[in-house]
Amino acid sequence: MKRTPTVGEILRAKGVSRRGFLKYCATTASLLALPPAMIPRIARAIENARRPSVIWLSFQECTGCTESLTRSASPTVEGLIFDAISLDYHHTLQAASGEQAEAARHAAMEENDGGYLVLVDGSIPTGNPGFSTIAGISNRDMLMDTVKGAAAVVAIGSCAAFGGIPGANPNPTGAVSVSELVKDKPVVNVPGCPPIAMVMTAVLTQFLTFGQLPELDKFGRPLAFFGKTIHDRCYRRPFYEQGKFAESFDDEGAKAGWCLYKLGCKGPTTYNACATVKWNSGTSFPIESGHPCLGCSEPGFWDKGGFYQPLSTGHFGSGAKLAGAAAAGVALGVAAAAAGRRRQAKITKEA
Amino acid sequence: MSTVDDRHTLDREAERIAYKPPEVRHDTQGDESTEERVEKAMHHFVKNFNSQTASYLDGCVHCGMCADACHYHVRTDDPRYTPIWKIELFKQAYKREVGPFAFFYRLFGFKKKVTIEQLEEWQHLLYDSCTVCGRCSLVCPMGIDIAGMVSMARHGMFKAGLIPHELHETAKRAAETGSPLGITPDKFEDRVEWMADEHEVDIPIDVEQADVLAVMSSIEIQKYPQSIAATAKILNAAGESWTFRTDGFEATNFGMLSGNAEWQKEATMKLIDAAIKIGAKTLVLPECGHAYMAMRWMGANMYGKPLPFKVFHISEYMADALNSGKIKVKEVDKSVTYHDPCQVSRRGGATQAARDVLNHLGVDLREMKHGGDYNWCCGGGGGVVTIKRADELRHRVFKLKMDQVEATEAEQLLSSCANCRQSFDDSQQHFSWDYTMGSLMEMVAENLEEGTS
Amino acid sequence: MDLLEFARGPALQIAAYVLVAGTIWRLVAIILLKEKPEFSEPRGPGGLGAALKVIYTRAFTAPVFKKATLYPKILGYVMHVGLFATVFLFVPHIVFFQGFLGFDWPGLPNSAIFVTGVVTVGTAIALLVRRMTSPVLKLISNFDDYFSWLVTVLPLVTGLLIPIRFGIRYETLLAVHILSVALLFIWLPFGKLGHTFLVFITRGTTGMAFERRGAKT
Repeated sequence: MKRTPTVGEILRAKGVSRRGFLKYCATTASLLALPPAMIPRIARAIENARRPSVIWLSFQECTGCTESLTRSASPTVEGLIFDAISLDYHHTLQAASGEQAEAARHAAMEENDGGYLVLVDGSIPTGNPGFSTIAGISNRDMLMDTVKGAAAVVAIGSCAAFGGIPGANPNPTGAVSVSELVKDKPVVNVPGCPPIAMVMTAVLTQFLTFGQLPELDKFGRPLAFFGKTIHDRCYRRPFYEQGKFAESFDDEGAKAGWCLYKLGCKGPTTYNACATVKWNSGTSFPIESGHPCLGCSEPGFWDKGGFYQPLSTGHFGSGAKLAGAAAAGVALGVAAAAAGRRRQAKITKEA
Repeated sequence: MSTVDDRHTLDREAERIAYKPPEVRHDTQGDESTEERVEKAMHHFVKNFNSQTASYLDGCVHCGMCADACHYHVRTDDPRYTPIWKIELFKQAYKREVGPFAFFYRLFGFKKKVTIEQLEEWQHLLYDSCTVCGRCSLVCPMGIDIAGMVSMARHGMFKAGLIPHELHETAKRAAETGSPLGITPDKFEDRVEWMADEHEVDIPIDVEQADVLAVMSSIEIQKYPQSIAATAKILNAAGESWTFRTDGFEATNFGMLSGNAEWQKEATMKLIDAAIKIGAKTLVLPECGHAYMAMRWMGANMYGKPLPFKVFHISEYMADALNSGKIKVKEVDKSVTYHDPCQVSRRGGATQAARDVLNHLGVDLREMKHGGDYNWCCGGGGGVVTIKRADELRHRVFKLKMDQVEATEAEQLLSSCANCRQSFDDSQQHFSWDYTMGSLMEMVAENLEEGTS
Repeated sequence: MDLLEFARGPALQIAAYVLVAGTIWRLVAIILLKEKPEFSEPRGPGGLGAALKVIYTRAFTAPVFKKATLYPKILGYVMHVGLFATVFLFVPHIVFFQGFLGFDWPGLPNSAIFVTGVVTVGTAIALLVRRMTSPVLKLISNFDDYFSWLVTVLPLVTGLLIPIRFGIRYETLLAVHILSVALLFIWLPFGKLGHTFLVFITRGTTGMAFERRGAKT
């Protein structure tokens, strides 16, 4: 039987230098909050890992998550890591389709029963099964069938993690997240619209290195990346403390790079690594490019009020309802005064 | 041993340090059952709830600052003398029966029914320890007129037969004889004649038609009869067509002080009827504080419509007459300090009148520190001076007044209220004090320029 | 729906309805009680002018009472000014008000608001200590006084906790803060905190009654 090349061999064959590889391992270690002593172990583990089998399922999605991984400006280690895994099924990327593709999926499942990873992007419609199908199989059936022999499931992107845009009000397809359907397998959520490529690969790296999944927060997100808010680590934070805010996208405050809180920035309630890991190989992130954070890695971000509405904007309900409350107040007041007067008359009635 | 137990408090103010007997006494009038008393108290508390009192009773924030304005609390540090606490039962009744959330207060028992024990306890607080001086109403950051509500709460206490006997007896005598001191029309006439002889002054009485009706307070008629003559001299000098009337001479109103609204109205109507009968354009009230409140500010409300004549306190009348030159006075070379009667100045608004008069007299007016509208009360207002059992407390608070007066080092102490004068005289005797209270009106009468008018 | 959404949404909405309805309820119930007719001949101008005058002047202590009431007055002023500043001059709050008022105004730096908030809480504690130790206040205080104190201080404390965090998630703290405000809104019209609107009625009433007598107000 032909020996499967290790990840290390593949990377070297692709021209990744030892220095670049170790740098990636160090970054991963720091992102995962591991001590530096673990870097050689990560390196050794990755180098010697036999390409684990990964099945990637795409349901109600926009392919943005896949794009985020594959369309980096230049080839990156993160991207190459994906070359190093045995991506046995990904109907967007693979050449085969239809029954041929499905046969590959089944083969991978059988061969690696109990040890393969399932990555999912996109939400799953629970309404009419015909809303979204692949090779005539409904998304739900395919998911449930595939996860049976999986070691773990990673929900990539906010749609798979929380339902995302398909699940937004009024949710016409009855879209749900992976974790709402998969109850008997560990599910890691890597939300974001799309998620940061580095975060996705770090989760895979940890699995490769230690054969275990990262520590998760209450929304099933790796704490290492989703433990702190954007606001906490935002480079514009000092302006928030000084009360210096951009009032519009083209005012002096915006030009001076002041805090975008008043323009609706959701940084204070959004847990993600954008402010530290950044995007496009560490080039920038939305706030740095002058746009408030949308909070895309938070559950239900699409339905949490306007993107440009400041966080502290309360929902007082409609003016009509407030007027209704006022009218009720008048009615209660009149009734109370009438009752008071009646009571007064009763008590002061001459015996 | 440096500490002693506090089961019986020491009275350190007494001439010889003594135990202060616990205050247990409360009086009851009539033979109603306790239920009937509570019912009556409620009836007459509740009667007084209107939008004005409601806002006051709803508005209190329990800041306790009124305690710092009350002479009783300042002198005793007894928290029960906190003015707003004195109307606690009134408030309790309001919140339970009539307030905006009365339904819930009753439903959940947030405010209990007022009990007879409470009413008995509050007798001391609503009568013995409140002169309705209204100083608390000026300190209240919410602007609540606490004093006004003490008067209203007294309505319930009176009808429940729960007021001090002395005050009840005085008010009853006033209702029955027309005067709290039992001065009948005949006796008044005698006194008028006597004063006319004594002071050689014409004193018209029972004239059929006159522009001005002058009235007196029983305290003056009885204790300071020279006031009758002084009034006559001033009105004569001003060239008024005026008269006293035997069918309406008593200005005091013990119905108001004790809390009997019917008696209050009867007394007020007597004067109004007399004034209308003679076609008076002006009613001149004597040197009496509460008479001013009863007629000037409450008279028309008793009458039910605006009064067809003007109402003046004698100090206002004198100020007008002097300012317009109707009468003239000689200069008096004396230093004088003036004690403002609460109901005339602070609560009546006639503070300036006495100053105008004193200015015409050319005296060296030495205002008391924090005097005028913020004056300390004589301690005898609101009917308190009649309550014998409250004497000890009254003398205790009078100390504030003494300090206030002494600090001016004025030669002469003056006021324009016979009730104050009476309290001062009593306390003067009690403390063997140097200052004798004088009358502003008498000083004017004594110093009238001959031949004016 | 998470806690923050609940706080910002239904909780705040319901609280606002209760605030509006309760305030109007109490005011209408008071105003519609029978009116006491007044026939005496006025000496001074009564009416609205007198009411407005006393609404303003009673914010200040007459010199005669200054010494006796100095301590509670200072505490009272600091408390009210502190509450005003923390509520109306904190930028996230201004943004909140702008959300339904449609206009905004300049705020203070967060650090200044933080210090103000700490001072205000300190003052509130001093006021509570005074209430629990002064014989007068001990006697006249009831549940309303202590509960009103609590619902006033809770938003201050929860607001101050937001930047300190103590390892608690931001949105949880924010939600708790908003919920404490909702509680304040709900209680305000019914207890003594109603003085926020009743003060105009009580002072105005006295202004009209005593100014027309020409008496001291």
